[in-house]
Amino acid sequence: METIWYALLGLFFASYLVLGGYDYGVGLMLAHRWSPVDRRAALTAIGPFFLGNEVWLVAAVGILFGAFPMLEGELLASLYPAVALALAGVVVVTAAVQLRSRPATAAARTRWDRVIVAGSSLAALGWGAVLGGLLQGVPLRADGHVADVGHLFTPFAAACALSLVALVAVHGAAFLAMRLPEGASGQIARLGRRLVPIALAAVGAATIMGLLSNRVRQAMQQPTVAVLMPVFLVTALLVAGGALTRRRPGIAFTATTLAMAAPVPLVAAITWPYALVSTVDPAVGLTVADAAASQPTLRLLSWLVMPLLPALLGFQLMSWWVFRGRIDGRTPVYW
Amino acid sequence: MDPLLLARLQFATTTSIHFLFVLVTLGLVTLLVYLQTAWAVTNKPVYERLTRFWGTLYLINYTLGIATGIVMEFQFGLNWSGLSRYVGNVFGAPLAIETLVAFFLESTFLGMWIFGWHRLPRGVHLALLYGVAVTAYASAFWVLVANSWLQNPVGYETRDGVAHLTDFSALLTNPTFGMALGHVVSAALLTGGMVMAAVGSWHLIRRTRDYDLHRKSLRIGLVTAALAVSVVQGFGFAQFGAVAPVQPTKYGDDAARTAAIADWTARFGPGDYTPPALANVGLGFMILIGFALGCVWLLFPLLFRDWIIRLRFPLYLMLLALPLPFVASILGWLAREVGRQPWAAYGLLKVDDAVTPMSGGVMLTSFIGFSLLLGTLAVTNWIMIARRAARGAEDLTLGRPLPDPDDTPDARPEPVLA
Repeated sequence: METIWYALLGLFFASYLVLGGYDYGVGLMLAHRWSPVDRRAALTAIGPFFLGNEVWLVAAVGILFGAFPMLEGELLASLYPAVALALAGVVVVTAAVQLRSRPATAAARTRWDRVIVAGSSLAALGWGAVLGGLLQGVPLRADGHVADVGHLFTPFAAACALSLVALVAVHGAAFLAMRLPEGASGQIARLGRRLVPIALAAVGAATIMGLLSNRVRQAMQQPTVAVLMPVFLVTALLVAGGALTRRRPGIAFTATTLAMAAPVPLVAAITWPYALVSTVDPAVGLTVADAAASQPTLRLLSWLVMPLLPALLGFQLMSWWVFRGRIDGRTPVYW
Repeated sequence: MDPLLLARLQFATTTSIHFLFVLVTLGLVTLLVYLQTAWAVTNKPVYERLTRFWGTLYLINYTLGIATGIVMEFQFGLNWSGLSRYVGNVFGAPLAIETLVAFFLESTFLGMWIFGWHRLPRGVHLALLYGVAVTAYASAFWVLVANSWLQNPVGYETRDGVAHLTDFSALLTNPTFGMALGHVVSAALLTGGMVMAAVGSWHLIRRTRDYDLHRKSLRIGLVTAALAVSVVQGFGFAQFGAVAPVQPTKYGDDAARTAAIADWTARFGPGDYTPPALANVGLGFMILIGFALGCVWLLFPLLFRDWIIRLRFPLYLMLLALPLPFVASILGWLAREVGRQPWAAYGLLKVDDAVTPMSGGVMLTSFIGFSLLLGTLAVTNWIMIARRAARGAEDLTLGRPLPDPDDTPDARPEPVLA
């Protein structure tokens, strides 16, 4: 039962990285020198999906709290600065995107766009640092608490943070290449293609930092799986870059989707059977079984939530289906 | 600085800001359901414009509801890891259900409602709004189940110092839950009605051309506020009888209070088990405001022949009374939450044991950072709502008719008075 809920937790968080990821990617794209019309078109492209994308994060943390209460407290508290950074970014983006077009003046809207860029960067940096923090382990003591938060600030965590920003940018560009009208789509595809080498460099740097770091090497429980991470990301980025060159944005978006989703199951597999690895005393790490809620809680959640999962997914699919295709002059505009 | 005090201050600040937006969300969504249904049934253009106008204000407000709500959710793990560890098996379940079932669907539906205007069939579009409303109430339901469990832990057993769930139905029949839910929901309806009446009043004072629309706002808002205030008062007083037996240090008599404190001293050691006086001060002023708002019934007869508009002064009254339900709600929550100190889970887990053992520096940075962030966003949001409300219903983006495919790129402006 714990394994099923752990898989669900991973599924929801991975979905958030994919869906929220392209929201932040489009947000980063607003930093490009664009006219107000083009910027509004980019926000219209994410329009109907924006609210429905961030719910995956809220639901993932809900599953974390309900099904893995021990993990929730220790994970969030031990990675406090990274989580707080990501949280600030998420809050800023959600407010800025929704409020951006409410003022009537172009100057105010441009100021809000800068806020969107800042928030998107913070969110991507924060979640990248969280993933890096999971891979490098935390100083978990025998009493289950973490002494301080300074352990988080390592070159490896910073490299992971920057990698996620780069990945998110390519992902957002691929999404816009799919959704913007044919004319504008070519320009954004070229921008996305130019970002791919940067993302490759970032992923490479993170891999090298990880190999050089004693702490990361010791925290790995399944080193063979760890090899898959950079291999998968590099392959996906190369496929995306090639597809963007060949004007196949659908394939590019599929590749970047897999690149955004893959880190979650891979991190979970690398640290398995631990959910949170301890750098102080390996035996004291928090295993998935220990972190899970007790059986009555898991049974209750299973009975109440599992039957509704098809409905949750169904309504999300409905929104993707109804608003499919490229935006045009008849697309409702609100953000 | 003391990390516990900082964690408590942060929770109080962020929850209060969050709730100010939740009130309007719950209240306005109900009124929006009424407006869009009225439009669907009567097909009168004024109801469509009312839906678009109030929908716009609702959406601006909803933004901060989400933003503050996400901070709330993370705050449990960040600042209160002891809560997760010792009572998470029970407390976490209703919160998980809320995020997965209620909020997940609410935002999904809302996104489709905003962008599906004129693209989806009218029945589907209306059904989406109903979905938003139902899931919003479901959110309130499950969050209150969780909070009520902290007020009065039931349906659990303790093994090795950790609480485990034994009977979920006990959480739903918790005496601190039922009346509180009625109280919170009617408070939200009261607030929504007051907001609607205040905005309508403002435009009627300014003699905006859009007379019919703002007159309807005033009337719908006033009637809602009047009905809701009586329900709020009813559920409010009903809570004393339900809560006093299970929270003796909050509303119990001296004998029950002394007995409870003696019992806790024996089990948990000596300490201060009496809540601060702030809780009762909050309660007193909240009740005073409740009675003041009850006077909205006196304006009821003035609805006849629009005397409420012709006399002018009732419009100013409705406008000036707008902050009152907000102030009362915060005072009410202070009474409920401060009244259960020093317990995080009443009689089970003290706040000292619930807080994350983190340095004061980290807590202070977090407190200042999130308070500034949410406070700034909140003030910006209120200014935005005020400005948008003041601009009136003339040029709305929400639900703007889609341009004809044959039209030139510059679409015709839509008529103001429909």
